Amino acid sequence: MRRKVSSSLREQLVAEIGSLRAFAVSLCGDKERADDLVQETLFKAWNHLESFKEGTNLKAWLFTILRNTYFSERRKRRREVEDADGAYAARLATHPAQHGHMEMQDFRLALTQLPDDQREALILVGAAGFSYEEAAEISSCAVGTIKSRVNRARNRLAGILGLELEETGAEGEGLSKTA
Amino acid sequence: MSRDTNIKDRRRKMPGLSNKTNQGAPHLSGAPQGAKGDGGLSPALQAHLGRHVRAVFDEVAREPIPEHLLRLLKDLEQGGDK
Repeated sequence: MRRKVSSSLREQLVAEIGSLRAFAVSLCGDKERADDLVQETLFKAWNHLESFKEGTNLKAWLFTILRNTYFSERRKRRREVEDADGAYAARLATHPAQHGHMEMQDFRLALTQLPDDQREALILVGAAGFSYEEAAEISSCAVGTIKSRVNRARNRLAGILGLELEETGAEGEGLSKTA
Repeated sequence: MSRDTNIKDRRRKMPGLSNKTNQGAPHLSGAPQGAKGDGGLSPALQAHLGRHVRAVFDEVAREPIPEHLLRLLKDLEQGGDK
């Protein structure tokens, strides 16, 4: 019985792999590990399909699984080796250096400097397309917490990139196409 | 300047996004409601940051899906849950 549901579900799962990989990379900063995470997520999802209500948000469900998988693994790892946050920045800073122009590289680097929870909130809301409410559910925290994390993330990024200066200096010049 | 009318237009469509999830959504993807919105950053700056966050994300999201992940799903589908 499950089989019939599955064929279309497989396609839906495939459709989310790209976003899942991007989210995984943003969490762990390492592509290989990200793919492992995605693999585990797909595996778990498949084996717990009964706990997913069709018609609800598959993408959010998958993101939640991936996130939980990541954090429970990290907790385990931390107990063994002390994997400090600095290691994340180091990893991420080295690997994508071959492509992207300067501005993007700066930005990527700036992202790595955000606290994990802020980066996560920013990615969920700002890139993965979730609402604040959905992001809050994925991260299992309050909506207000997500909002403030996103705000702090943006402010911090602006600070790291030295963007506030431009902004107050000349009302959005060089950036703005608003209004 | 009626910013509100701009919000919808400026909200970029995001490919690959499932259906309604985008509703009520991110200030980042466009101008915020109300100038100088939440963080005190200007709408232009927020939009600028938003574009970059998406670009970093999409760069990975749009990569071809690794074979082994596709294979995994096929195997699961065929073999059931073993």
